[in-house]
Amino acid sequence: MNIFGKKKKIVLPVIQGDGQDVKVRCNSCGRLIDYDTLKENYKICPYCGYHFRMSATERISVLADKGTFDELGEPIQSVDVLNFTDTVPYKKRLADLKDTVGLPNAILAGSGKIGGIQCAIGVFAFEFLNGTLGSATGEKLAELIRFAGKNSLPLVVVFSSAGERVQEGIFSLMQVAKTVSALNAYKEKEGSLFISVLTNPVLGGVASIAMAGDVIIAESGSYVGVSGPRISEYVMKRSLPKEAQKVENLMKRGFVDIITDRKGLKDTIIRILKFQNKWGKL
Amino acid sequence: MKLLPFEKPLEILYKELERRKRNGEDTLHLEELIEKQMEEIYKKLTPFDTVLVARHPDRPQPQDYINALLTDFTEFHGDRVSEDDPALIAGFGFFKGMPVFAMGTRKGHNIHERLKYHSGMLSPSGFRKAARLVETVSHSFKVPIISFVDTPGAMVSPQSEMSGQVEAIYKSLSALLNANVPVISVITGEGGGLGAIGISTGDRILMLTYSYFAVVSPEAGSAILFKNTEAKSRVASQLHLTARELLSLNVIDGIIEEPLGGAQRFKNAVIKSVGDALQSELETLLKEPVTELKKRRLEKYESMGVFTK
Ligand SMILES: [Zn+2]
Repeated sequence: MNIFGKKKKIVLPVIQGDGQDVKVRCNSCGRLIDYDTLKENYKICPYCGYHFRMSATERISVLADKGTFDELGEPIQSVDVLNFTDTVPYKKRLADLKDTVGLPNAILAGSGKIGGIQCAIGVFAFEFLNGTLGSATGEKLAELIRFAGKNSLPLVVVFSSAGERVQEGIFSLMQVAKTVSALNAYKEKEGSLFISVLTNPVLGGVASIAMAGDVIIAESGSYVGVSGPRISEYVMKRSLPKEAQKVENLMKRGFVDIITDRKGLKDTIIRILKFQNKWGKL
Repeated sequence: MKLLPFEKPLEILYKELERRKRNGEDTLHLEELIEKQMEEIYKKLTPFDTVLVARHPDRPQPQDYINALLTDFTEFHGDRVSEDDPALIAGFGFFKGMPVFAMGTRKGHNIHERLKYHSGMLSPSGFRKAARLVETVSHSFKVPIISFVDTPGAMVSPQSEMSGQVEAIYKSLSALLNANVPVISVITGEGGGLGAIGISTGDRILMLTYSYFAVVSPEAGSAILFKNTEAKSRVASQLHLTARELLSLNVIDGIIEEPLGGAQRFKNAVIKSVGDALQSELETLLKEPVTELKKRRLEKYESMGVFTK
């Protein structure tokens, strides 16, 4: 069942093009949009407001102040620890991703300024195996959290993830405990502030990590919950109405502080950072 | 007893045994034969067969262990926010004379119970009950925590999503990591995904021989990767979900052996083995200062994972 009455395709990163004539068809309203217009508009459809998915690098470019983002530490690579093969060997998937996405794992983490305020910033890369939580991704996120604690920085993480990564089995699940443990240590520090940003979608254990936010901001129209539609359909033998995972509804039920569209996201984060009393700084 | 698909060769022998018993004939030789056959079968279980044993309705379930191993067990109810989730049994009792807090998923041995307890899938109120009580134990009661896990996963329904399932799991997981008392978990049957890790993080994770612990159930894994559930057996093999594999990957701390044939056939013996294992682990854990325990617990989880730099 799709309560919106139309089938939504998974949004792939927009076609890489530099010419004036590159057009993109909106997943929601079906209209053709000039690619440059779309890019300038935070990848929001100018006709219907549909939020196209952003890559991690695009996210950083609209979130961090220009030229301030520094990637943290050494790159951490995912490993095929279980010798897993689904329709394609996991080893091959990882090798291909290195070429196509150019990231070693599903998170871009570093330090940078947001509205002039130094922060520890993490951005999930949905283009890397749907932003799933492999060991390398979990380790990088934990490294970022520890870095934020050590340097007394506010922590801002933009989540977009399909949840655990099946190909890394139990090690993926354990990353949930790992990052929650790191977050607990961070949160024990006076003046620590974890701003969690939910974008479409955030699922499974990654959603549990995201719910640890001291402040939870959601991009309008995002979906957050335990599992995606495939699990409900094939395993629970019944479909889960999408409305149940919509952030607008989760805000009504008390699980989200603020909802904003993508254009207003950075300003919202800056305001929250400014609401923090400097005396409360670690 | 319900026979599992791979136990089919035993069916005819069981029938013959019944007939001989009815007629008062000698059964000793036949019983030996059955035992031998069973051993042969159980020595060759595939990971997916193990999953089927883990799900057997006659296996002892958390409430059975709690009732058998604890005296004066007193159940506590409610998450203090919304309701009492009957799928989580939680309370205090004496284990070999020592006060402990025990919790576990109620799964149910028949259809009626399974419906009532959602087959051991916790709702947000279940995880919140766990979190609330773990905090109370850690702060006020100062006794060890024993968590028995047998769950196919966390509840997924419109109701549970709207009541903040992912947030509730975070609360429970976080409370267990923060607990200032020893925490031991025993996976007695199914250890399904987030639902399992949300109530099992601790100083020691023990598994029964025919239990499983996985990021997702084989069916869900197959649905995610192949868009159907046909590949469940293949996925089960690749997930490394059996106690032996997880011990060799250093994800769990010990295995409580079940006789060949499984806990569903040897209930009392397995319950006793679980009690013995808990006693020996508790003796070790209680020798250490709790600050040291907690430090090592966090180090253990923060070092989990395999990657390269
Ligand atoms: Zn549109």
